[in-house]
Amino acid sequence: MTKRKMFLRMITASLLRRRSRMLIALLSIAIGATILSGLVTIYYDVPRQMEAQFRNYGANMILVSADDQPLTGENVEAALSLIPAEKVIGATPYRYVNAQMVRSQLSFVAAGTDFDQVKATSPYFVVEGEYPSGVRQVLLGKEVAETIGAKLNSVIEITYKPTAVLSEAGGELNPGATLAGSAEGFNQNLVYVTLTLGDDLTIASLEVDASLQTPEYGGQCAEEFFTSRFLGKALPLTFGEDVDGVSGATITSEAVVNAINNAQVTENATALTGATLSMQVTGILDTGGKEEGYIFMSQEDMAALTGERDRYDVMELSVSAGAEELASYVDQINAMEAGVTPRLVKRITNSETAVLGKLQALVFLVTAVVLVLTMICVSTTMMAVVTERRREIGLRKALGASDGSIRTEFLGEGMFLGLLGGVLGTALGFAFAQVVSVNVFGSSITFQPLLLPVTILVSMVISALSCLLPIRQAVAIDPALVLKGE
Amino acid sequence: MSLLELKNISKIYGELKALDNVSVHVDQGEWVAIMGPSGSGKSTMMNIIGCMDKPSLGEVLLDGVDISKESSRALTNIRRDKIGLIFQQFHMVNYLTAVENIMVSQYYHSMPDEKEALEALERVGLRDRAHHLPSQLSGGEQQRVCVARALINHPELILADEPTGNLDETNENIVLNLFSQLHKEGTTLIVVTHDPEVAEAAQRTIVLEHGRVAREVINEGFIEGRQYV
Ligand SMILES: Nc1ncnc2c1ncn2[C@@H]1O[C@H](COP(=O)(O)OP(=O)(O)OP(=O)(O)O)[C@@H](O)[C@H]1O
Ligand SMILES: [Mg+2]
Repeated sequence: MTKRKMFLRMITASLLRRRSRMLIALLSIAIGATILSGLVTIYYDVPRQMEAQFRNYGANMILVSADDQPLTGENVEAALSLIPAEKVIGATPYRYVNAQMVRSQLSFVAAGTDFDQVKATSPYFVVEGEYPSGVRQVLLGKEVAETIGAKLNSVIEITYKPTAVLSEAGGELNPGATLAGSAEGFNQNLVYVTLTLGDDLTIASLEVDASLQTPEYGGQCAEEFFTSRFLGKALPLTFGEDVDGVSGATITSEAVVNAINNAQVTENATALTGATLSMQVTGILDTGGKEEGYIFMSQEDMAALTGERDRYDVMELSVSAGAEELASYVDQINAMEAGVTPRLVKRITNSETAVLGKLQALVFLVTAVVLVLTMICVSTTMMAVVTERRREIGLRKALGASDGSIRTEFLGEGMFLGLLGGVLGTALGFAFAQVVSVNVFGSSITFQPLLLPVTILVSMVISALSCLLPIRQAVAIDPALVLKGE
Repeated sequence: MSLLELKNISKIYGELKALDNVSVHVDQGEWVAIMGPSGSGKSTMMNIIGCMDKPSLGEVLLDGVDISKESSRALTNIRRDKIGLIFQQFHMVNYLTAVENIMVSQYYHSMPDEKEALEALERVGLRDRAHHLPSQLSGGEQQRVCVARALINHPELILADEPTGNLDETNENIVLNLFSQLHKEGTTLIVVTHDPEVAEAAQRTIVLEHGRVAREVINEGFIEGRQYV
């Protein structure tokens, strides 16, 4: 038998055969180790959990156009290529236009999007019915549905007239030029005009589209008895002087005059004639936010409505990354200069950072307090152990134990306790973290293998430190006094 | 040849002189008994001889070395290498078995050797109790384990303070027989006792009174290798 074996035999015998007292020390170390490993596990797992949680609150980054032009698939692709694909939980394009309901003449924001991605970037959307899955289907915001009285499976007619026509305009006012314009009429719905100029630059022909106005009143402004009043008049016109309004439709009449005055030369007069689509309501959207006032449709339907493809106003991204990482993506995308400006949704990323920072401080504090308490507890217990074993220590010294041997033996017992407590604590701590995680975040955590050696090491160091004072007491014991009678 | 020589040693506790100018010498291989009333300084003297205490005055020569001047670390080494101790109370490590208690002594001395430890138990008639804890042993059995532990490292000198004080006659005889045998093998024995019968087993008796050597008696009736039954 080697000395080391005997050493281990003595230590284990001391721990196993003197259970009650050592159990208290072991328990306190194990509890300390449990809290330590549990909190550290939670601490390392929480950012991941929180990120997942925060992803439920919607997009944390949006891409908008860097200039006045809408985004295109091309520049969005370029920006997205800078973010690792596995980090992108969802990327949802939105094209927003103002569209009118044919029947009610009310105008709403229509949004063309990709519903599969919407589910990823806006998991908090509550849809009564279903998301549209085919063409000529819409998801109505709750507010829209209530305003126009639409129900699930109702069919609504939506029409779109581009105001953007003017952006294509510009050119000389020459004889024979075609001009197009629009102006707000009744209920802020647009009135459109297309006119041609004669040789003397007066109005040679005029067409009015008042289909978004109340048919029996403003609708009359599209009729010839009214449009003929403008022929031969020079621009600009003054309402009430050059032309009189249709009685009962003053607002629409004035809108026609304004539209003519606004009108610009255009090559593409057909751009004025947007489409009207009949669409089925498959779902009604409840978000508690501004989305309730929107009409959502697929990108195909949006293209059919506007005659434009591959145009986006906003790209919403849900990226699985912390604030710092997100900021680095923003920098990279900006540096690329692809006509895309990335923005962080500060409300989300800031609260994520703030919560994590507070959590970190809390974990450190609690861990430090628990470790100090553990040390006090172990130290007190070991102190009692030394007192209890005075005779034995005296005897060992009488038998020839040096101070060093006494030190080694107590330290050995302490470290052994630390080892057991550390193993126990890692297991219990993982269970503890698991319970917390399941109850708080509703998801389980993964075991960090590195935690086992770290917890054991910390427990052993803690118990070794706790033994220092008791060991000093043990070394000071005088064998002669202890062994004398008493 | 003298193994131990106390030269005018005194141990003073404040006003009290536990030992007062004591001079004693013990030869190699001698068996000496120390008697005296309670408080006469017997244990104090044994502690000094056993390197667990130092005299206030005087010299203690063990094997020609003056141990009264040594550091406590050196004293520990001397005690470990040369002296086997037996105490009045049966001091055992209470969570170690009989054989383990003996191995503790080997552990501090040199190397634990379970076989040798078991042989020592055999010698005190406790081979079959080797794996019992102290709480499972009688007082006499515990004291026999302590004797086995004292002799395991083959010390030159065995110091026993009241080794039979708490034993019945049968166990007292067993211990005396062991001493007798050790003496025959050449071990030096110093035994403190109140019991005249135990003192008579020795070759010489030193009587202490009030910290002084009152008298020394040579035991004329000493018989080498005597068996007590
Ligand atoms: N550490 C000490 N401090 C003060 N006085 C002490 C100390 N140790 C012993 N004494 C005193 O020294 C004297 C001798 O004590 P010692 O223990 O040597 O007696 P003893 O002969 O062994 O007695 P007993 O037969 O009762 O064991 C006693 O009066 C005791 O009270
Ligand atoms: Mg005594």
